[in-house]
Amino acid sequence: MPRTGVFICHCGTNIAGTVDIDKTVEASRNFPGVVHADEYRYLCSEMGQDIITKAIKENDLDRVVVGTCSPRMHENTFRKAAAEAGLNPYLLEVANIREHCSWVHKDMEEATPKAIALLRAAAAKAALNEALEAPRLDVEKRALVIGGGIAGIQAALDIAEAGYEVDIVEKDPSIGGRMAQLEKTFPTLDCSACILTPKMVEAAQHPNINLLTYSEVDEVKGFVGQFDVKIRQKARYVDPVKCTGCGICWEKCPSKAPSEFEMGLSKRKSIYVPFAQAVPMVPVIDRDSCLYFRKGRCQICEKECPPQAIDYEQQDEIIERRYGAIVVATGFDQLDPTIYGEYGYGQHPDILTGLEFERIFNASGPTGGKVVKLSDGKPPKKVVFIQCIGSRDKARGMNYCSKICCMYTAKQAILLKEKVPDAKSYVFYIDVRTGGKGYEEFQRRAAEEHDVAYMRGQVGKIFPEDDHLVVRGIDSLTNRNIEIKADMVVLAAATVARGDAPELGRLVGINSDSYHFFNEAHPKLKPVETHTAGIFIAGACQAPKDIPETVSQASAAAVKAIGLLSKEKLQGEACTAEVIQSDCSGCLNCEAICPYTAITPVEIEERYKDGVLKRTVAEVNPALCQGCGSCAVTCRSGSINLKGFSNDQIMAEVDAICLQR
Amino acid sequence: MAERNVESVNKVREAVSQDLLGGRIDLLLGWEKGHYWWQSRPLFARSEADLEKLAWDSFCAVNLSRYLLEELKDHDKVGVLVKGCDARAFNRLLQDNMVRREQVILYGLPCPGMLDYNRLVEKAGGAPLEITEENGRVIIKVGSGEQEAQRDDLLLDKCKDCRYPDPAVYDQLLFSPQGEKEVTERFKTVEELEEMSAEERFGYWEKELSRCLRCYACRQACPFCSCRECFVEQENPRWQGRAYQPSENFMFHLVRAYHGTGRCIDCGECERSCPVDIPLQELNRKLIKDINELYGDYEAGLDPEQEPPLLTYRPDDPAAFSEK
Ligand SMILES: Cc1cc2nc3c(=O)[nH]c(=O)nc-3n(C[C@H](O)[C@H](O)[C@H](O)COP(=O)(O)OP(=O)(O)OC[C@H]3O[C@@H](n4cnc5c(N)ncnc54)[C@H](O)[C@@H]3O)c2cc1C
Ligand code: SF4
Ligand code: SF4
Ligand code: SF4
Ligand code: SF4
Ligand code: SF4
Repeated sequence: MPRTGVFICHCGTNIAGTVDIDKTVEASRNFPGVVHADEYRYLCSEMGQDIITKAIKENDLDRVVVGTCSPRMHENTFRKAAAEAGLNPYLLEVANIREHCSWVHKDMEEATPKAIALLRAAAAKAALNEALEAPRLDVEKRALVIGGGIAGIQAALDIAEAGYEVDIVEKDPSIGGRMAQLEKTFPTLDCSACILTPKMVEAAQHPNINLLTYSEVDEVKGFVGQFDVKIRQKARYVDPVKCTGCGICWEKCPSKAPSEFEMGLSKRKSIYVPFAQAVPMVPVIDRDSCLYFRKGRCQICEKECPPQAIDYEQQDEIIERRYGAIVVATGFDQLDPTIYGEYGYGQHPDILTGLEFERIFNASGPTGGKVVKLSDGKPPKKVVFIQCIGSRDKARGMNYCSKICCMYTAKQAILLKEKVPDAKSYVFYIDVRTGGKGYEEFQRRAAEEHDVAYMRGQVGKIFPEDDHLVVRGIDSLTNRNIEIKADMVVLAAATVARGDAPELGRLVGINSDSYHFFNEAHPKLKPVETHTAGIFIAGACQAPKDIPETVSQASAAAVKAIGLLSKEKLQGEACTAEVIQSDCSGCLNCEAICPYTAITPVEIEERYKDGVLKRTVAEVNPALCQGCGSCAVTCRSGSINLKGFSNDQIMAEVDAICLQR
Repeated sequence: MAERNVESVNKVREAVSQDLLGGRIDLLLGWEKGHYWWQSRPLFARSEADLEKLAWDSFCAVNLSRYLLEELKDHDKVGVLVKGCDARAFNRLLQDNMVRREQVILYGLPCPGMLDYNRLVEKAGGAPLEITEENGRVIIKVGSGEQEAQRDDLLLDKCKDCRYPDPAVYDQLLFSPQGEKEVTERFKTVEELEEMSAEERFGYWEKELSRCLRCYACRQACPFCSCRECFVEQENPRWQGRAYQPSENFMFHLVRAYHGTGRCIDCGECERSCPVDIPLQELNRKLIKDINELYGDYEAGLDPEQEPPLLTYRPDDPAAFSEK
C-alpha cells in the first residue's frame, strides 16, 4: 500500500467558493492508501509548499495528490516542493478541481462530489505512479528563422547581436517581404524602403547571419535544442559567388513574365531580381518563362555575363543543419477579391487592391511613381476606397478584422492628395479603427485636411460606364443610396494567412487557428511561444499586424530564442512511451502516427516450438519521444504505455470515478 | 453437384501443382469439400494427393489469407488462392506488416460470388439435394422435383454488395477479370439505422448484441484482427469485463468495430462466422461510410501503397471541434 498525502487548495474563493473544502478533505481520508489529508488557502504560496514538504517528511509519504488548479499552471511548483522533501517529483499527481470543477459549476452540492471524484481518481493513479528521471539534453547554439520579411530580419538581427549564429530561410529571391512593396508607412509617412533597406543590408553583412534566399524548409525533425532541418536551396541557375550583380543579364534578356513583386501590374525579365534594392543582388532564372529552358535556344544571359556566372545545369541543393530554436515569420497574403463578383475586381484595370495601389505610388513601380489610371494613363480625380473586403464578414469571408486597412487607406488617401492635388477620395467603411500611438490623429488628418469623405456604408455594385466606374452603395447612417462616378476603386482586401501556412505548420509541428494563422501558446502570457517547445512565431503569420507590432513581436521571439540558446542543457521529457514488445504484433501503425519519428522497427527473437522465430516489433527512442501519447492510443492491443500515463494508470482513474470504490 | 465446373478446377490444380510439386511453395492454401456438398472448407495441400481434393465451386466463401498468420511460422513460402476479398485481406496483412510479399504466391480467382445455403433452402422450399448452374441461373434439385432461380438472388450477403470481385493483388490471374461491380445497396441498412433516433438505435443494438456469446469467432476470422493479444483477453489493465451483460457486449463490439476504422476490408467474414447472426457488417460499414465521407473515398485493402486515412495527417482533414 502506498502512503499517500492529499492537499487541497482553496485558491482563495476560486475553489472554496464552490467546493466544500472540509467535506472534500474528510472524504479524501477514506481513499485507499491515503494516510494524510490537509487543506490550505493558497497551496502554491511559499507557506503552502512548506505544508506539503513538512507533511511528506513527518508522515513518511511516498505519494502526493494536490487538488488545485490545472497542472499547466502549477504542476512544476508542486513537483519542486515534493523534490524538496526528497520525493521523486513524478510521484506527485495533480487533480484539477478548479478549471475542471469549481470554475465550471455554480452549485456546491454538485461541485463537491465531483471534486471528490477527481481526487479519488488522482489518488488511484498516484498509487501506480513510478519514479521517473528526465534526461538532460544538449542545445545546438544556432537558430533558424523561416521567412525574411521585416519580422524575420528583426528576429535574426537580435539573435545575431546576442552572439548566436542564425540562418534565415526565405522562399523568394530576396529578403524584405511585404514591407519592401510598400511606398510610405503610416503613421509617420517615412519611406518604407528607406527604413527597410539598411536593415536588409545589416542582416546580409552580419557575421552571425547566413542568408538562404530562394530556399524552403523541406523537413523538420527532432525537438527543442536539437531540430534537424532539411533546407532546399532552389537552383537559381546563377553562381552567387561569381555574380557581381551588374545587371547586364536582366538588361539583355529578351523574355518577360508578370512581376510577382509588382503584383502582376508590370513585367520583369526571365532572369531577374525582384526589385532594385534586392538582397542579395543575385538574379534567378525563372524556368517557366526562360526561352532556353522552354525551347532550348537563347542563352543570351550566359553569353553576356562578364564573370560567367550563369549555370543552366545548377540543381536544387539540400542543406542539412541542426538548430536549437526556430522562429517562424512567414507573413501574410492579401485575399483575392475576385470571389466577390459585385466589386468587379479583375474585370477592369482601375479596380485595384490596396497592395497594388502601393505599387502605383512607388517610384520604381509599374507607373514610375506617377499616380495614374492603368486604363488610360491619366491621373484619377475621384478614388473610392472600400474597406473590409472579406474582413468582418462572417457569411462569406473572414470573421476577424484585418487591422491594418483603416490605417493604410488613410495613408493612401493622403499620399493621393499629395500627388494629385485636385483628387477627391471617398472611403466606404463599417467602422474606422485606429487604435495605436498617433493613429487616430493620422486618420483625422486624412479626413479633415486631405479632402477624404468617410461614408459609413456598403457598396453593392461596381460597373464601368463610359470612361469611369460607377460605384453604387448605401449610406447606412442615412439609409440613402449613393452613386459615385469614380476613376479608380481601391479594395482593402482582407489580410489572410499564406496559402502554404497549413503545410508549413505541419512540417514544423505547430498548429494554427481556423484561418490558418499560427497559434501562440497563450493569447496573453505566451504570445510568441507555440505549443511546441523551441518554436516561436513572429509577425503577420500569427495574426494581421502592422510594422511596429511586427517588429516588437519579432524582438520578443528573439529574446525567447536567445534565452533557450543560452542554456547549457535542457531538461528532456521524462514521460516517454515504451513498447511492451512481447505483446506488440509489429503492425507499425505507431511508427506511422508518431509526429517525432521516435518509433522504429526492430527485430527480436522469440522461442517458437523447438527453435526461434524472428519477428519485427516497435521500439521507442526515448531521446526523440516527446510523450505526446499518439502511439499509445493508436496501438489497438494496448502494447504501448506512456510513462506517467500508462494504460493501467488511466484505467485506475476511470475505475475510481465509475466504480466509486 | 459439388464442382461447378470440372474444367476450371483442373485449371486451378494445374497452375498450383507445378509450383507445389516443383518446390516453389511449401504449402498451398485452397479449398476442399466439407462434410456436406454445400460446404467447402480450407485445404492445406502439401502433396499431389492433397491436391486431388482441391475444390473451386460456389461455396468457397472462407477467406484463406488469414491462415497465413499461422502458416508462415512453419513454412517459408506459401501459395494462396485468392478471390477478391481474400486478396484485399492479403493487402490488409501486408499493410499491417504481418506478411512479407515475397513469402507468398497469390493465385488470383475473379469471383462469381458464393452461394448461401439458407437461401437455397428457402428458394427450394426444403432441403436441396444438389444444384446445377448455367448462365447465371441455378437449378435446385429437391425430393419433389426442381426449382429454378437467378444466381444473383442466392448469393451470400457479403457477396451481394461486393464491389471488387477481382483480386486486387496476385502473381498469376487464373481466369479473366470481370471488372468493378456496381453496388447500390451497400450502405442501405446503415442509412436506415442513421435515420433512427438515438434511443431507437440503442434499442436495436441492445437487442442484437444481447445474443453475442463472446465466442470471438468474428475476431478469429477477421484479417484486421492480427493482434498478438486482443484487448479482450488482457488482464492488466482489464479493458473488457468478462460478464455477459449488455454493457460488456457493447464494449467489445464498439472497440472491435473502431479497431477496423479505415482498416476493415468489407469481406463479411466476421458476420458469416457468427453463430448467432449478429449483423456485424452494419457496424463495419457505418465506419467505412464515415471514413469515406470524412476523408474521401478509401477502400481498405485495394492498394497497400495508399496511406490509410487514420494514419496520415492532411492539413485539410476535417476538424469539427476547431471549425469557425
Ligand atoms: C497595402 C498594405 C499597406 C501597408 N502599409 C503599412 C504601413 O503603412 N505601415 C505599417 O506599419 N504596416 C503596413 N502594412 C503592414 C505590413 O506590410 C506588415 O506589418 C508587415 O509586412 C509584416 O511583416 P512580416 O515579416 O510579418 O510578413 P511579410 O512581410 O509577409 O514577410 C514574410 C516573408 O516570409 C517569406 N515566406 C513566406 N512563406 C515562406 C516559407 N514557407 N518559407 C520561407 N519563406 C517564406 C515571404 O516571402 C516574405 O519574405 C501594410 C500592409 C498592406 C497589405
Ligand atoms: S501499434 Fe502496437 S502492435 Fe502495432 S507496432 Fe506499434 S506497438 Fe506494436
Ligand atoms: S508518445 Fe509515441 S507518438 Fe508521441 S512522441 Fe513518443 S513515441 Fe512518438
Ligand atoms: S471486420 Fe469483418 S468484414 Fe471487416 S475485414 Fe474483418 S472480417 Fe472482414
Ligand atoms: S478486436 Fe482489436 S484488439 Fe482485438 S484482435 Fe481485433 S484489432 Fe486487435
Ligand atoms: S462471432 Fe458473433 S457471437 Fe461470437 S463474439 Fe462475434 S458477434 Fe459475438
